[in-house]
Order: sequence, then structure tokens, then C-alpha cells
Amino acid sequence: MLNKYYLGIDIGSLTTKVVLVDDTGAVAARAADRSGYSGRRVAERLVEEILKEKGLDKKDISATVATGYGRVTFPADREISEITCQARGIAHLFPAARTVIDIGGQDSKVIKLLPGGKVADFAMNDKCAAGTGRFLEVMAGALEVRVEDLDDLAAQSGESCPISSICTVFAESEVISHIAAGRQKADIVAGVCASVAARVASLASRTGLEPEVVFTGGVARNKGVVNALAEHLRCRLLVPEEPEVTAALGAALLAGNIKV
Amino acid sequence: MAENRKYLPLASTRRLEKLMTRYYFLTRYHRFWGKPLRRPLAWVTSGAPVELLRAFRIHPVYPENYGAICGTRRVSAQLCQVAEAAGYSQDLCSYARSHIGSILRPELAPMGGLPKPDLLVACNNICGTVLKWYEALARIFRVPLLVLDTPFLPGELTESAKSYVLEQLKHMADFLAHFTGRRLDRRELERHMALSKETVNLWKEIRGFCRAKPSPLNAPDLFIHMAPIVVLRGTPQAVHYYRLLRNEVNSRVQQGQGAVPGEKIRLVWDNIAIWYRIFGFFQMFSERGACFVTDTYSGGWVMELTEGDPLESLAATYTEIFLNRSPEFRARQMIELIKDYNADGFVMHSNRSCKPYSLVQEVIRRRVMQETGVPGLVVEADMADQRVFAEEPVRNRVQAFLETLSDI
Repeated sequence: MLNKYYLGIDIGSLTTKVVLVDDTGAVAARAADRSGYSGRRVAERLVEEILKEKGLDKKDISATVATGYGRVTFPADREISEITCQARGIAHLFPAARTVIDIGGQDSKVIKLLPGGKVADFAMNDKCAAGTGRFLEVMAGALEVRVEDLDDLAAQSGESCPISSICTVFAESEVISHIAAGRQKADIVAGVCASVAARVASLASRTGLEPEVVFTGGVARNKGVVNALAEHLRCRLLVPEEPEVTAALGAALLAGNIKV
Repeated sequence: MAENRKYLPLASTRRLEKLMTRYYFLTRYHRFWGKPLRRPLAWVTSGAPVELLRAFRIHPVYPENYGAICGTRRVSAQLCQVAEAAGYSQDLCSYARSHIGSILRPELAPMGGLPKPDLLVACNNICGTVLKWYEALARIFRVPLLVLDTPFLPGELTESAKSYVLEQLKHMADFLAHFTGRRLDRRELERHMALSKETVNLWKEIRGFCRAKPSPLNAPDLFIHMAPIVVLRGTPQAVHYYRLLRNEVNSRVQQGQGAVPGEKIRLVWDNIAIWYRIFGFFQMFSERGACFVTDTYSGGWVMELTEGDPLESLAATYTEIFLNRSPEFRARQMIELIKDYNADGFVMHSNRSCKPYSLVQEVIRRRVMQETGVPGLVVEADMADQRVFAEEPVRNRVQAFLETLSDI
């Protein structure tokens, strides 16, 4: 008997993620790339690539669910919000999880889970990119370092510089004035991470935190933010191996109606 | 109307349009009949004791209702910019900014702006902004400003609070007698209060019909059809209109007709309408079978006038307005609406303009969720200034919220 495959596509504001699962919910393939101008085209290319890699054909895919900001642009069988997808993906990976903190390109959100991956409550950032991946990118740009290098730098900090968590644009000028004042790069980076943590912690206070707490989204790769957030929330944070693809995984599981 | 509705229309809407057109027509041409009939025109806040003004034959005009019209016609942003250019902060209420903008640039404003007032009456039972807004108006037009100060009620109405407001109403009546050259006719005041009471009772009855499954009305119906209870409260026209609407809504219930076809999810709305998206916003819900069966906003006009001395009754009624009360009172009100209307969830509009309405919503949301077990969503927007509305994030939150209420 031939295996059935399900596809989850997450077209985010910064990155597009694609996950293929089999009918047991095991990940068969995954891919990600910058969304750029057309997230849909990036998604289509990524799907072609993983199908080729697996030696599969389009008709081997039984169902597709699209999520993320570009979800309506992609011709999927269904489009589901990333909150529902994220919840399903995390419940699959961490059945004991009751809270998800997700920091993506332009959104940060806190989701409260019921057993089985249903959403009990959620809170999202307001119309402002402070405390998101985009915020870190802008700050890395001002400091002339790569985003990937931020966590190593944060680890070297002796005393972090205070950075306002109110506005990305104003925070960038703050970073520039810290540079002008001759502060250590590492200390500024630590301040940036603490600022993201503070912003997300206030969001978490709206829904409340219940362990286990899982941290997802591209920003969860940044150990500087993970540590700052764990310290701020005073709780242990679980980070998936590939924290940016969990919503796409949830979308694929929902496509196959694969229960936790 | 700037948008079309996508669900069952009410036949009464045509009568409503006629009624409101007539009101604004009379208002616009007040200069021709006001003087000869000795009937001054007053700009008043939505929570002003209008029955007293009517007893003195004053014609009340509502800048807040006008602000809602500016919002619905999507001219608020432009009028707000006019006010902002004149130095008014972008953080100020968008009704105030739209209205001030309409005074500064009437050529940009619906109906060429409101006709100039002879008098201003502000009551701070709905917010503190009205005080400064009306002070600015008093400076612009150099007309008298009457302020009714209703103390905030952390608990129940106290005797001292009531007598404090009553004293002011007596002073107000004295001033109005002097200003209009008429004596306070208590029978006339009682007549307007009886008309108000009847209007309020009809509005209460109409809203009560929405306990039915499916609900005969959706929130936009309530927002549109509340206009007469705001601007014509205390008149026979309002009573006549709401009898008509009551009959139509009642017959919907009798026939089992719902406002939203295939009603699956019942919701409660909190805060002022998003006027510039009055249908589009709610369509995100109705297309997924979700109907807003009741709300706290248009329900604010179900303010029952107590028996007894008319001025005392006005003092109590206008001080006990829900926006003048504690977060505990408002949480309790929301919990009762959810139970009473069998709602599956609630949506709170965090309205950038309306601070007293919006600031405590997060506290209320948590308490209501805890007590009722139904989920609540907060949506960030503004009642009139469409620049504040971010379509995609709102759509995203609404979709996620409705998914939590459905089986996915």
C-alpha cells in the first residue's frame, strides 16, 4: 500500500516554511526560505524541491493546509490561522505543553493550550514590531553583526545596556547612542535581548503562564533571547529542534486530520 | 452608507433613514425656525440629561452621533488630520477630532458640519474628554457651557453623590429658565421623561428578542437602529419608531428568522462600533456563522428612569451610566449578558479613542473568562479613525478566535 502524505505550508512575513508528513504524523521532509516579494512562489518552489528530494509526485499529497500571513494566496485545500496550527504542532511534539510563546518575523504571540492541542486563549502583539524577529534584525543591522551571531555576543556581556521596548525605530536610535557612548557591543546585544523578553513577558501576563512552556519561532534559535526570557518569566523554556517550522508542521497534521 | 450588508435586511431601516434625515434636516435649518420659536440649539454629550433640555424646548444636537456619521462615511481620518494640524493630539478621541475638524474645515464635513450652537451641555458620566472638548468649543463659539459633574461610582450610588448631582441639576434648571426665558414646567419635564421611559422600555424589549436562537438581530443592526434613542430620546417620534421596529423584530422571532443565516456561534460585543467597517468587520464573523446577539454599547441606552421626583430620577439615572462604574460592575454585566443570551464567546474592541471604555478591558476579559468559561478576544481598532485599523492582523485574530470556537 502506498503511503499518504500531507503538506503544511506556513507563509510568514519573513520566512516561508514547508513541512511534509506521512499518515502517522512523522516528518518526511521540510524546507524553508525567505518569503521575499512572493511567499506563494517561494512556497511552490520549496514544495517542488522536497517532492523531488523524496521522489514523490504532486498527486501523492492527499491534502494541503496553508497558514501564516500569506495563507490566502496559496491554493491549498484549507487555510487555517497560525495560532491553531502552532497549537497543533506543539501538542504533537510536546504533549505536556500548556503554553506556547512564539516570536516570528512580525508577530509575537502567547497561546494557552488545552490537552490535545486545542487553543484555550491567546494574546498577540499590537500593531508594532517591537519584541519580534524584525526588531532583532534591525538592531543587528545597527550593530553591524549577523542575527545568528547575536546569541554568542549576548553570552559575553558583563552588564547589559537598558533598551526601551516601546518602538523599533526609537530603540534603534537608542542602540546608536549606546554605540556613540562607546558601550561594548556585547552589552548592547544583551540589552536588545532583554528588551524582547520584557515585551513578550507582558504579553504572557494577559493569558497567564502554565508549564510546560514551549518557545517557538525563528527567534527561539537565539539563545540570548531564550535566556533573557527564561530569566524574566522565571520558568523553564522548551525549544523544539527546529522552532520555526512548528506551525507548518501543525498545518500538515491538520491537513491529515492527525490527532495528537 | 459606505458598505453593504451581507445578511438579512430590516424593512424598518427605510423608516429609520427618513426619521434621521428629518432630524438632521431640521437641525441644519434651525436658523430659520429656532429664533422665531424661541428654541435655542444646544450641542450636548451622549450622556447629558436631555429630558431637562427638552422641557425648556431646547433642540439638542449630538456631536458624538455626528462623529459616528463621519466614521461611517469614512471622512473621519481627513477631519482628524485637520484637527491634528491645528494642534490637537492624535491620542485625542476621534469623535472630538472629527468634530473639531468639521468646524475648522466645514467643506470637508458631512452636511457641511453641524449648525452653530447657542449653548453647550457636557456631562462627564461617559468620559473626561468631553470636558476639555466642550471647553474648546466654548472658546471657539463664545457660548455658555453647562457641565454636569457625575462622580465615578466605585460601588453603588450613594446619597451624597446623588444629592451632589441633584444640586447641579437644580442650578442647571435655573440657568436654563433664565437663558430661554421660560419657566421650568414640571408637567412638560414629566412628559418628556415618560417618553424617554417608553423608548428605553421598547429598546430593552427589542434587545431581549435576541435571546432567541437564531437571533433576529446582529450587532450592526443594534448600532444602526440605536440612533433614535441617542438623538430623539424623550420624543414621540422615537417611541413611534421603536414600536415599528419592535413589531418587525418580534415577527422575525415568531417566524424563526435569524439575522445571520445558519447561526452557529453566538457572541457578545463590547465597546463602540467600528463605524468605517460596520458591515465589513462583522462579515468576517457572519460568513463563519457567528452572530453578535447583544452588546454593552447600544445596551448602554437601556437606562431606566426611576419613579419619584423627576430631577432626582435624572440625577440617579445619569450618574449610574455603566461607563461611570467600576470594572467589577462591568465584568458582572458582561457575565450576565453571556449567560442571559447563551453566548459562546465575546469580543472586545480595544478602542484607541475611548479610554474609559477600553482601559480596563483586559481585567474584565480575564474575570469573565474565568467565571463563564467562554473565550474572549480583544481587537485593536478605533471607532472613527480608520488609520488605526490594520486589516490583516485583525482578520488573523478573528479567524484564530473563531477556530477555537469551532471544531477543527
